[in-house]
Amino acid sequence: MNRENRILILTGLAMIALTMFFGFWYAVFDEHQTLVGMTVAMMNGFLEAARGNLPEAYGAIDEYGRIAKEYRREVHFHGHWGFLGLILILYGLVAHTIHFGQRARVLLATCLAASAILFPFGVLLQIGPMDWLGKILAVLGSIGLVFGMLAFVTGILRRREVSG
Amino acid sequence: MESSQPGNTTITGILDTRVSRLLAFGGILLIASGMLLGDIFAIFILHPNNARIGAAMYGAAMAIPAVDTDAIMAHFHAIGGFLENRGTKVDAHSHSVSLGYLAVLLAILQPYVALSNGTKLRLAWAYVLSAALLPFAIFAIHYVGLAYSPLDFIGWASIVADTVALIVAVTVSAQLLGLWRYWRQGQEAVAGPACLQSMTRSGRILLSGGSLLLLAGFIYGGAYAGYIEWLRSPSEVDILKGIITHAAQQQSVEADFAAYGAYQAAQGINVAAHAHVNSMGILLMLLALVQPFVFLSESWKKRWAVIMVVGSAVLPLSILLELRLGLIAGGMADIAGAAVICALVAMLFGLVRQTGATDSA
Repeated sequence: MNRENRILILTGLAMIALTMFFGFWYAVFDEHQTLVGMTVAMMNGFLEAARGNLPEAYGAIDEYGRIAKEYRREVHFHGHWGFLGLILILYGLVAHTIHFGQRARVLLATCLAASAILFPFGVLLQIGPMDWLGKILAVLGSIGLVFGMLAFVTGILRRREVSG
Repeated sequence: MESSQPGNTTITGILDTRVSRLLAFGGILLIASGMLLGDIFAIFILHPNNARIGAAMYGAAMAIPAVDTDAIMAHFHAIGGFLENRGTKVDAHSHSVSLGYLAVLLAILQPYVALSNGTKLRLAWAYVLSAALLPFAIFAIHYVGLAYSPLDFIGWASIVADTVALIVAVTVSAQLLGLWRYWRQGQEAVAGPACLQSMTRSGRILLSGGSLLLLAGFIYGGAYAGYIEWLRSPSEVDILKGIITHAAQQQSVEADFAAYGAYQAAQGINVAAHAHVNSMGILLMLLALVQPFVFLSESWKKRWAVIMVVGSAVLPLSILLELRLGLIAGGMADIAGAAVICALVAMLFGLVRQTGATDSA
Protein backbone atom coordinates (compact mmCIF):
# COMPACT_ATOMS: atom_id res chain seq x y z
CA MET A 1 0.00 0.00 0.00
CA ASN A 2 1.20 3.48 -0.87
CA ARG A 3 1.36 6.68 1.13
CA GLU A 4 -2.02 7.91 -0.12
CA ASN A 5 -3.61 4.62 0.98
CA ARG A 6 -2.11 4.92 4.46
CA ILE A 7 -3.14 8.55 4.94
CA LEU A 8 -6.75 7.81 4.08
CA ILE A 9 -7.09 4.47 5.88
CA LEU A 10 -5.38 5.50 9.11
CA THR A 11 -7.23 8.83 9.28
CA GLY A 12 -10.55 7.15 8.52
CA LEU A 13 -10.14 4.43 11.14
CA ALA A 14 -8.87 6.94 13.73
CA MET A 15 -11.92 9.13 13.10
CA ILE A 16 -14.24 6.14 13.51
CA ALA A 17 -12.57 5.07 16.77
CA LEU A 18 -12.73 8.61 18.15
CA THR A 19 -16.36 9.12 17.17
CA MET A 20 -17.25 5.80 18.80
CA PHE A 21 -15.70 6.95 22.08
CA PHE A 22 -17.49 10.28 21.68
CA GLY A 23 -20.77 8.43 21.04
CA PHE A 24 -20.25 6.33 24.18
CA TRP A 25 -19.51 9.41 26.30
CA TYR A 26 -22.43 11.27 24.76
CA ALA A 27 -24.91 8.42 25.30
CA VAL A 28 -23.88 7.94 28.93
CA PHE A 29 -23.43 11.53 30.10
CA ASP A 30 -25.25 13.95 27.81
CA GLU A 31 -27.87 12.59 25.40
CA HIS A 32 -30.56 11.68 27.92
CA GLN A 33 -30.27 15.03 29.71
CA THR A 34 -30.37 16.91 26.40
CA LEU A 35 -33.48 15.09 25.16
CA VAL A 36 -35.29 15.59 28.47
CA GLY A 37 -34.20 19.25 28.45
CA MET A 38 -35.71 19.74 24.98
CA THR A 39 -39.07 18.23 25.93
CA VAL A 40 -39.23 20.10 29.25
CA ALA A 41 -38.36 23.45 27.59
CA MET A 42 -41.08 23.03 24.97
CA MET A 43 -43.58 21.89 27.61
CA ASN A 44 -42.73 24.96 29.73
CA GLY A 45 -43.47 27.14 26.72
CA PHE A 46 -46.96 25.64 26.47
CA LEU A 47 -47.52 25.80 30.26
CA GLU A 48 -46.49 29.47 30.49
CA ALA A 49 -48.70 30.30 27.52
CA ALA A 50 -51.60 28.59 29.30
CA ARG A 51 -50.88 30.74 32.38
CA GLY A 52 -50.93 33.85 30.20
CA ASN A 53 -47.18 34.57 30.58
CA LEU A 54 -46.27 34.93 26.92
CA PRO A 55 -42.78 36.51 27.40
CA GLU A 56 -41.80 33.55 29.65
CA ALA A 57 -43.36 31.18 27.14
CA TYR A 58 -41.27 32.67 24.31
CA GLY A 59 -38.18 32.38 26.51
CA ALA A 60 -38.88 28.69 27.07
CA ILE A 61 -39.39 28.09 23.33
CA ASP A 62 -36.11 29.92 22.62
CA GLU A 63 -34.44 27.65 25.18
CA TYR A 64 -35.95 24.65 23.36
CA GLY A 65 -34.50 25.98 20.09
CA ARG A 66 -31.07 26.39 21.68
CA ILE A 67 -31.01 22.85 23.12
CA ALA A 68 -32.41 21.37 19.88
CA LYS A 69 -29.66 23.10 17.89
CA GLU A 70 -27.03 21.76 20.32
CA TYR A 71 -28.48 18.25 20.04
CA ARG A 72 -28.48 18.37 16.24
CA ARG A 73 -24.87 19.60 16.17
CA GLU A 74 -23.68 16.81 18.51
CA VAL A 75 -25.49 14.06 16.62
CA HIS A 76 -24.30 15.59 13.32
CA PHE A 77 -20.68 15.50 14.54
CA HIS A 78 -20.93 11.87 15.70
CA GLY A 79 -22.65 10.66 12.53
CA HIS A 80 -20.56 12.62 10.05
CA TRP A 81 -17.21 11.69 11.57
CA GLY A 82 -18.26 8.04 11.42
CA PHE A 83 -19.54 8.18 7.86
CA LEU A 84 -16.67 10.29 6.56
CA GLY A 85 -14.30 7.84 8.27
CA LEU A 86 -15.89 4.97 6.33
CA ILE A 87 -15.61 6.95 3.08
CA LEU A 88 -11.93 7.71 3.74
CA ILE A 89 -11.18 4.00 4.30
CA LEU A 90 -13.01 3.10 1.09
CA TYR A 91 -11.14 5.76 -0.85
CA GLY A 92 -7.94 4.54 0.82
CA LEU A 93 -8.49 1.02 -0.48
CA VAL A 94 -8.66 2.17 -4.10
CA ALA A 95 -6.57 5.37 -3.95
CA HIS A 96 -3.57 3.79 -5.68
CA THR A 97 -5.65 2.90 -8.73
CA ILE A 98 -7.10 6.32 -9.57
CA HIS A 99 -6.00 8.20 -12.66
CA PHE A 100 -3.49 10.67 -11.17
CA GLY A 101 0.25 10.74 -10.53
CA GLN A 102 1.65 9.69 -7.14
CA ARG A 103 2.17 13.27 -5.89
CA ALA A 104 -1.32 14.35 -6.87
CA ARG A 105 -2.78 11.28 -5.17
CA VAL A 106 -0.96 12.07 -1.91
CA LEU A 107 -2.09 15.70 -2.12
CA LEU A 108 -5.67 14.62 -2.78
CA ALA A 109 -5.57 12.14 0.12
CA THR A 110 -4.24 14.83 2.47
CA CYS A 111 -6.91 17.30 1.35
CA LEU A 112 -9.68 14.73 1.85
CA ALA A 113 -8.38 13.61 5.25
CA ALA A 114 -7.96 17.17 6.56
CA SER A 115 -11.37 18.27 5.24
CA ALA A 116 -13.10 15.20 6.69
CA ILE A 117 -11.70 16.05 10.13
CA LEU A 118 -12.38 19.79 9.91
CA PHE A 119 -15.95 19.77 8.62
CA PRO A 120 -17.70 17.87 11.48
CA PHE A 121 -15.35 19.46 14.03
CA GLY A 122 -16.44 22.88 12.78
CA VAL A 123 -20.07 21.85 13.22
CA LEU A 124 -19.38 20.81 16.84
CA LEU A 125 -17.59 24.10 17.57
CA GLN A 126 -20.74 25.98 16.56
CA ILE A 127 -22.36 24.96 19.86
CA GLY A 128 -20.17 27.15 22.07
CA PRO A 129 -18.70 30.65 22.04
CA MET A 130 -16.41 29.75 19.12
CA ASP A 131 -19.44 29.66 16.82
CA TRP A 132 -17.77 31.95 14.24
CA LEU A 133 -14.65 29.74 14.04
CA GLY A 134 -16.85 26.65 13.77
CA LYS A 135 -18.67 28.13 10.79
CA ILE A 136 -15.40 28.97 9.03
CA LEU A 137 -14.00 25.47 9.63
CA ALA A 138 -17.23 23.79 8.53
CA VAL A 139 -17.36 25.81 5.30
CA LEU A 140 -13.65 25.22 4.57
CA GLY A 141 -14.05 21.50 5.32
CA SER A 142 -17.11 21.26 3.07
CA ILE A 143 -15.35 22.99 0.18
CA GLY A 144 -12.31 20.72 0.61
CA LEU A 145 -14.52 17.64 0.68
CA VAL A 146 -16.54 18.62 -2.40
CA PHE A 147 -13.41 19.35 -4.44
CA GLY A 148 -11.65 16.26 -3.10
CA MET A 149 -14.60 14.00 -3.83
CA LEU A 150 -15.04 15.51 -7.29
CA ALA A 151 -11.37 14.87 -8.07
CA PHE A 152 -11.62 11.34 -6.66
CA VAL A 153 -14.70 10.53 -8.75
CA THR A 154 -12.92 11.82 -11.85
CA GLY A 155 -9.94 9.64 -10.97
CA ILE A 156 -12.13 6.59 -10.39
CA LEU A 157 -14.02 7.01 -13.66
CA ARG A 158 -10.68 7.18 -15.46
CA ARG A 159 -9.08 4.56 -13.20
CA ARG A 160 -6.25 2.30 -14.22
CA GLU A 161 -5.60 -1.36 -13.48
CA VAL A 162 -2.78 -1.96 -11.00
CA SER A 163 -0.67 -5.02 -10.83
CA GLY A 164 0.98 -6.21 -7.63
CA MET B 1 -7.81 -9.62 -14.35
CA GLU B 2 -8.66 -12.45 -12.02
CA SER B 3 -11.85 -14.35 -12.39
CA SER B 4 -14.28 -15.64 -9.87
CA GLN B 5 -16.05 -17.91 -12.26
CA PRO B 6 -17.04 -21.19 -10.64
CA GLY B 7 -14.05 -23.47 -10.57
CA ASN B 8 -11.43 -20.80 -10.07
CA THR B 9 -9.98 -20.89 -6.56
CA THR B 10 -6.62 -19.21 -7.09
CA ILE B 11 -7.49 -15.69 -6.08
CA THR B 12 -6.19 -14.10 -2.91
CA GLY B 13 -9.41 -13.43 -1.13
CA ILE B 14 -10.74 -11.59 1.82
CA LEU B 15 -12.35 -14.85 2.85
CA ASP B 16 -9.16 -16.88 3.04
CA THR B 17 -8.77 -16.53 6.80
CA ARG B 18 -11.25 -17.23 9.58
CA VAL B 19 -10.90 -13.68 10.85
CA SER B 20 -11.74 -12.04 7.54
CA ARG B 21 -14.56 -14.48 6.89
CA LEU B 22 -16.11 -13.80 10.27
CA LEU B 23 -15.94 -10.04 9.76
CA ALA B 24 -17.20 -10.17 6.16
CA PHE B 25 -20.20 -12.41 6.90
CA GLY B 26 -21.00 -10.66 10.15
CA GLY B 27 -20.82 -7.34 8.33
CA ILE B 28 -23.07 -8.32 5.47
CA LEU B 29 -25.63 -9.83 7.84
CA LEU B 30 -25.59 -6.62 9.89
CA ILE B 31 -26.10 -4.52 6.76
CA ALA B 32 -28.95 -6.71 5.47
CA SER B 33 -30.72 -6.91 8.84
CA GLY B 34 -30.27 -3.17 9.41
CA MET B 35 -31.84 -2.46 6.02
CA LEU B 36 -34.71 -4.84 6.70
CA LEU B 37 -35.35 -3.11 10.02
CA GLY B 38 -35.28 0.25 8.22
CA ASP B 39 -37.83 -0.93 5.66
CA ILE B 40 -40.17 -2.34 8.34
CA PHE B 41 -39.71 0.80 10.44
CA ALA B 42 -40.53 3.08 7.50
CA ILE B 43 -43.69 1.15 6.57
CA PHE B 44 -45.21 0.28 9.95
CA ILE B 45 -43.84 2.68 12.56
CA LEU B 46 -42.57 5.96 11.12
CA HIS B 47 -45.77 7.41 9.65
CA PRO B 48 -48.21 6.31 12.43
CA ASN B 49 -45.72 7.55 15.03
CA ASN B 50 -45.39 10.96 13.35
CA ALA B 51 -49.19 11.23 13.27
CA ARG B 52 -49.33 10.45 17.02
CA ILE B 53 -46.71 13.12 17.77
CA GLY B 54 -48.68 15.68 15.74
CA ALA B 55 -51.94 14.73 17.47
CA ALA B 56 -50.36 15.01 20.94
CA MET B 57 -48.89 18.43 20.08
CA TYR B 58 -52.30 19.56 18.84
CA GLY B 59 -53.89 18.28 22.05
CA ALA B 60 -51.37 20.23 24.13
CA ALA B 61 -52.09 23.39 22.11
CA MET B 62 -55.84 22.93 22.63
CA ALA B 63 -55.24 22.69 26.38
CA ILE B 64 -53.65 26.19 26.43
CA PRO B 65 -56.91 28.24 26.14
CA ALA B 66 -58.54 25.84 28.64
CA VAL B 67 -55.61 26.48 31.05
CA ASP B 68 -55.46 22.73 31.55
CA THR B 69 -51.83 22.31 32.66
CA ASP B 70 -52.31 18.66 33.62
CA ALA B 71 -53.41 17.87 30.07
CA ILE B 72 -50.39 19.74 28.65
CA MET B 73 -48.01 17.74 30.83
CA ALA B 74 -49.76 14.47 29.94
CA HIS B 75 -49.48 15.25 26.21
CA PHE B 76 -45.78 16.09 26.50
CA HIS B 77 -45.17 12.93 28.49
CA ALA B 78 -46.72 11.01 25.59
CA ILE B 79 -44.65 13.00 23.05
CA GLY B 80 -41.47 12.03 24.95
CA GLY B 81 -42.44 8.37 24.56
CA PHE B 82 -43.22 8.71 20.85
CA LEU B 83 -39.93 10.50 20.20
CA GLU B 84 -38.02 7.79 22.08
CA ASN B 85 -39.83 5.14 20.05
CA ARG B 86 -38.83 6.81 16.78
CA GLY B 87 -35.29 7.75 17.86
CA THR B 88 -34.33 4.27 19.05
CA LYS B 89 -35.63 2.67 15.82
CA VAL B 90 -33.64 5.10 13.67
CA ASP B 91 -30.54 4.55 15.83
CA ALA B 92 -30.87 0.75 15.69
CA HIS B 93 -31.21 0.89 11.89
CA SER B 94 -28.32 3.29 11.29
CA HIS B 95 -25.92 1.64 13.78
CA SER B 96 -26.57 -1.83 12.38
CA VAL B 97 -25.83 -0.70 8.81
CA SER B 98 -22.80 1.45 9.70
CA LEU B 99 -21.20 -1.22 11.89
CA GLY B 100 -21.82 -3.72 9.08
CA TYR B 101 -19.98 -1.49 6.62
CA LEU B 102 -17.08 -1.17 9.01
CA ALA B 103 -16.95 -4.95 9.57
CA VAL B 104 -16.58 -5.60 5.82
CA LEU B 105 -13.88 -2.92 5.57
CA LEU B 106 -12.03 -4.46 8.51
CA ALA B 107 -12.24 -7.86 6.77
CA ILE B 108 -10.50 -6.38 3.73
CA LEU B 109 -7.88 -4.67 5.90
CA GLN B 110 -6.94 -7.78 7.93
CA PRO B 111 -3.78 -8.64 5.92
CA TYR B 112 -2.40 -5.26 7.00
CA VAL B 113 -3.19 -5.59 10.70
CA ALA B 114 0.06 -6.49 12.50
CA LEU B 115 -1.36 -8.54 15.35
CA SER B 116 -1.17 -12.26 16.08
CA ASN B 117 -3.83 -14.46 14.49
CA GLY B 118 -5.26 -15.36 17.89
CA THR B 119 -5.62 -11.70 18.86
CA LYS B 120 -7.19 -10.87 15.51
CA LEU B 121 -9.72 -13.69 15.89
CA ARG B 122 -10.64 -12.60 19.42
CA LEU B 123 -11.01 -9.00 18.27
CA ALA B 124 -13.17 -10.08 15.34
CA TRP B 125 -15.49 -12.10 17.60
CA ALA B 126 -15.70 -9.23 20.09
CA TYR B 127 -16.51 -6.79 17.28
CA VAL B 128 -19.12 -8.95 15.54
CA LEU B 129 -20.92 -10.00 18.73
CA SER B 130 -20.94 -6.48 20.16
CA ALA B 131 -21.97 -4.92 16.85
CA ALA B 132 -24.82 -7.44 16.57
CA LEU B 133 -25.97 -6.83 20.14
CA LEU B 134 -25.83 -3.02 19.93
CA PRO B 135 -28.84 -2.50 17.57
CA PHE B 136 -30.91 -5.03 19.59
CA ALA B 137 -30.10 -3.19 22.82
CA ILE B 138 -30.92 0.21 21.28
CA PHE B 139 -34.17 -1.21 19.89
CA ALA B 140 -35.10 -2.53 23.35
CA ILE B 141 -34.55 0.80 25.15
CA HIS B 142 -38.10 2.00 24.47
CA TYR B 143 -39.69 -1.27 25.63
CA VAL B 144 -37.50 -2.12 28.64
CA GLY B 145 -37.61 1.40 30.08
CA LEU B 146 -36.38 1.69 33.66
CA ALA B 147 -37.58 -1.77 34.76
CA TYR B 148 -35.27 -3.21 37.45
CA SER B 149 -32.66 -0.59 36.56
CA PRO B 150 -30.05 0.24 39.21
CA LEU B 151 -29.93 3.82 37.87
CA ASP B 152 -32.54 6.59 37.96
CA PHE B 153 -32.30 7.81 34.38
CA ILE B 154 -31.15 4.92 32.15
CA GLY B 155 -32.44 1.36 31.98
CA TRP B 156 -30.84 -2.03 31.42
CA ALA B 157 -31.13 -1.84 27.64
CA SER B 158 -29.19 1.45 27.64
CA ILE B 159 -26.57 -0.03 29.96
CA VAL B 160 -26.08 -3.01 27.63
CA ALA B 161 -26.01 -0.73 24.56
CA ASP B 162 -23.39 1.55 26.12
CA THR B 163 -21.24 -1.40 27.25
CA VAL B 164 -21.17 -3.11 23.85
CA ALA B 165 -20.60 0.27 22.15
CA LEU B 166 -17.50 0.69 24.30
CA ILE B 167 -16.31 -2.81 23.37
CA VAL B 168 -16.78 -1.96 19.67
CA ALA B 169 -14.78 1.25 20.12
CA VAL B 170 -11.96 -0.62 21.89
CA THR B 171 -11.78 -3.33 19.19
CA VAL B 172 -11.66 -0.68 16.43
CA SER B 173 -8.86 1.10 18.31
CA ALA B 174 -6.96 -2.21 18.51
CA GLN B 175 -7.34 -2.66 14.73
CA LEU B 176 -6.03 0.87 14.25
CA LEU B 177 -3.05 0.00 16.44
CA GLY B 178 -2.42 -3.12 14.35
CA LEU B 179 -2.49 -1.12 11.11
CA TRP B 180 -0.21 1.51 12.60
CA ARG B 181 2.26 -1.17 13.68
CA TYR B 182 2.20 -2.75 10.22
CA TRP B 183 3.09 0.47 8.46
CA ARG B 184 5.43 1.82 11.14
CA GLN B 185 7.51 -1.36 11.29
CA GLY B 186 7.78 -1.37 7.48
CA GLN B 187 6.80 -5.02 7.38
CA GLU B 188 7.20 -6.95 4.18
CA ALA B 189 4.44 -6.17 1.77
CA VAL B 190 1.69 -8.75 1.86
CA ALA B 191 -0.11 -9.73 -1.31
CA GLY B 192 -3.36 -8.30 -0.02
CA PRO B 193 -6.81 -8.96 -1.33
CA ALA B 194 -7.15 -9.32 -5.07
CA CYS B 195 -9.89 -6.70 -5.03
CA LEU B 196 -7.27 -4.02 -4.43
CA GLN B 197 -5.29 -4.90 -7.51
CA SER B 198 -7.89 -5.33 -10.22
CA MET B 199 -11.61 -5.16 -10.65
CA THR B 200 -14.24 -7.03 -12.59
CA ARG B 201 -16.85 -5.33 -14.79
CA SER B 202 -19.49 -5.60 -12.08
CA GLY B 203 -16.99 -4.12 -9.63
CA ARG B 204 -16.40 -1.13 -11.90
CA ILE B 205 -20.15 -0.52 -12.25
CA LEU B 206 -20.53 -0.54 -8.47
CA LEU B 207 -17.43 1.56 -7.78
CA SER B 208 -18.38 4.27 -10.29
CA GLY B 209 -22.02 4.29 -9.19
CA GLY B 210 -21.04 4.43 -5.52
CA SER B 211 -18.54 7.26 -5.88
CA LEU B 212 -21.03 9.31 -7.94
CA LEU B 213 -23.75 8.76 -5.33
CA LEU B 214 -21.42 9.85 -2.54
CA LEU B 215 -20.54 13.03 -4.38
CA ALA B 216 -24.21 13.77 -5.10
CA GLY B 217 -25.16 13.07 -1.48
CA PHE B 218 -22.48 15.32 -0.11
CA ILE B 219 -23.31 18.23 -2.43
CA TYR B 220 -27.00 17.84 -1.61
CA GLY B 221 -26.30 17.79 2.14
CA GLY B 222 -24.12 20.89 1.86
CA ALA B 223 -26.73 22.75 -0.18
CA TYR B 224 -29.49 21.85 2.30
CA ALA B 225 -27.35 22.90 5.29
CA GLY B 226 -26.64 26.22 3.54
CA TYR B 227 -30.36 26.74 2.92
CA ILE B 228 -31.18 26.07 6.59
CA GLU B 229 -28.34 28.20 7.94
CA TRP B 230 -28.17 31.19 5.67
CA LEU B 231 -31.35 31.49 3.64
CA ARG B 232 -34.85 32.29 4.89
CA SER B 233 -35.86 28.75 5.72
CA PRO B 234 -38.85 28.35 8.07
CA SER B 235 -37.79 28.29 11.73
CA GLU B 236 -39.20 25.69 14.12
CA VAL B 237 -38.99 28.16 17.01
CA ASP B 238 -41.03 30.80 15.13
CA ILE B 239 -43.70 28.22 14.22
CA LEU B 240 -43.92 27.02 17.85
CA LYS B 241 -44.24 30.62 19.07
CA GLY B 242 -47.06 31.10 16.57
CA ILE B 243 -48.84 28.01 17.92
CA ILE B 244 -48.72 29.08 21.59
CA THR B 245 -49.53 32.72 20.79
CA HIS B 246 -52.62 31.88 18.75
CA ALA B 247 -53.72 29.20 21.25
CA ALA B 248 -53.33 31.63 24.19
CA GLN B 249 -55.37 34.24 22.29
CA GLN B 250 -58.01 31.59 21.53
CA GLN B 251 -57.41 31.93 17.78
CA SER B 252 -57.22 29.13 15.24
CA VAL B 253 -53.95 27.16 15.22
CA GLU B 254 -54.75 25.18 12.08
CA ALA B 255 -52.41 27.21 9.85
CA ASP B 256 -49.61 26.99 12.43
CA PHE B 257 -49.96 23.22 12.65
CA ALA B 258 -50.01 22.94 8.87
CA ALA B 259 -46.75 24.91 8.80
CA TYR B 260 -45.30 22.77 11.62
CA GLY B 261 -46.23 19.54 9.82
CA ALA B 262 -44.70 20.84 6.58
CA TYR B 263 -41.52 21.87 8.45
CA GLN B 264 -41.15 18.47 10.15
CA ALA B 265 -41.85 16.59 6.91
CA ALA B 266 -39.39 18.68 4.89
CA GLN B 267 -36.66 18.29 7.48
CA GLY B 268 -37.20 14.55 7.95
CA ILE B 269 -37.31 13.85 4.23
CA ASN B 270 -34.27 15.98 3.34
CA VAL B 271 -32.14 14.51 6.11
CA ALA B 272 -33.24 10.96 5.24
CA ALA B 273 -32.54 11.49 1.53
CA HIS B 274 -29.05 12.86 2.28
CA ALA B 275 -28.25 10.02 4.70
CA HIS B 276 -29.54 7.31 2.35
CA VAL B 277 -27.68 8.60 -0.73
CA ASN B 278 -24.43 8.47 1.23
CA SER B 279 -25.21 5.15 2.84
CA MET B 280 -26.02 3.60 -0.54
CA GLY B 281 -22.85 5.11 -2.03
CA ILE B 282 -20.75 3.46 0.66
CA LEU B 283 -22.55 0.15 0.15
CA LEU B 284 -21.94 0.19 -3.60
CA MET B 285 -18.23 0.91 -3.19
CA LEU B 286 -17.95 -1.84 -0.57
CA LEU B 287 -19.67 -4.35 -2.81
CA ALA B 288 -17.34 -3.34 -5.66
CA LEU B 289 -14.44 -4.50 -3.50
CA VAL B 290 -15.96 -7.90 -2.70
CA GLN B 291 -17.04 -8.68 -6.28
CA PRO B 292 -14.03 -10.95 -7.01
CA PHE B 293 -15.26 -13.22 -4.21
CA VAL B 294 -18.88 -13.40 -5.30
CA PHE B 295 -19.10 -16.90 -6.78
CA LEU B 296 -21.61 -16.17 -9.53
CA SER B 297 -21.23 -15.95 -13.29
CA GLU B 298 -20.04 -12.56 -14.53
CA SER B 299 -23.32 -11.91 -16.36
CA TRP B 300 -25.32 -12.48 -13.16
CA LYS B 301 -22.91 -10.34 -11.16
CA LYS B 302 -23.40 -7.54 -13.71
CA ARG B 303 -27.19 -7.86 -13.44
CA TRP B 304 -27.12 -7.68 -9.64
CA ALA B 305 -24.68 -4.77 -9.82
CA VAL B 306 -27.01 -2.82 -12.12
CA ILE B 307 -29.99 -3.58 -9.84
CA MET B 308 -27.96 -2.41 -6.86
CA VAL B 309 -26.94 0.86 -8.54
CA VAL B 310 -30.45 1.62 -9.82
CA GLY B 311 -32.09 0.70 -6.50
CA SER B 312 -29.55 2.73 -4.56
CA ALA B 313 -30.21 5.81 -6.68
CA VAL B 314 -34.01 5.42 -6.74
CA LEU B 315 -34.33 4.88 -2.96
CA PRO B 316 -33.13 8.34 -1.83
CA LEU B 317 -34.74 10.02 -4.85
CA SER B 318 -38.09 8.49 -3.89
CA ILE B 319 -37.66 9.65 -0.30
CA LEU B 320 -37.06 13.16 -1.63
CA LEU B 321 -40.18 13.00 -3.82
CA GLU B 322 -42.41 11.98 -0.90
CA LEU B 323 -43.32 15.63 -0.27
CA ARG B 324 -44.75 15.97 -3.79
CA LEU B 325 -45.93 12.45 -4.64
CA GLY B 326 -46.82 11.17 -1.17
CA LEU B 327 -47.54 7.46 -0.95
CA ILE B 328 -46.54 6.76 -4.56
CA ALA B 329 -43.01 7.91 -3.78
CA GLY B 330 -43.13 6.04 -0.48
CA GLY B 331 -44.03 2.87 -2.38
CA MET B 332 -41.20 3.48 -4.87
CA ALA B 333 -38.77 3.86 -1.97
CA ASP B 334 -39.97 0.60 -0.42
CA ILE B 335 -39.64 -1.27 -3.73
CA ALA B 336 -36.16 0.17 -4.33
CA GLY B 337 -35.18 -0.79 -0.77
CA ALA B 338 -36.47 -4.33 -1.35
CA ALA B 339 -34.54 -4.56 -4.66
CA VAL B 340 -31.35 -3.51 -2.90
CA ILE B 341 -31.91 -6.13 -0.19
CA CYS B 342 -32.52 -8.84 -2.85
CA ALA B 343 -29.32 -7.94 -4.70
CA LEU B 344 -27.43 -7.88 -1.42
CA VAL B 345 -28.72 -11.31 -0.44
CA ALA B 346 -27.81 -12.65 -3.92
CA MET B 347 -24.25 -11.39 -3.46
CA LEU B 348 -24.14 -12.91 0.02
CA PHE B 349 -25.20 -16.20 -1.56
CA GLY B 350 -22.31 -15.84 -4.03
CA LEU B 351 -19.92 -15.18 -1.17
CA VAL B 352 -21.10 -18.31 0.65
CA ARG B 353 -20.51 -20.34 -2.53
CA GLN B 354 -17.01 -18.84 -2.81
CA THR B 355 -16.25 -19.88 0.75
CA GLY B 356 -17.40 -23.42 0.07
CA ALA B 357 -15.22 -23.59 -3.05
CA THR B 358 -12.18 -22.28 -1.14
CA ASP B 359 -12.74 -24.77 1.67
CA SER B 360 -13.12 -27.75 -0.67
CA ALA B 361 -9.96 -26.71 -2.56
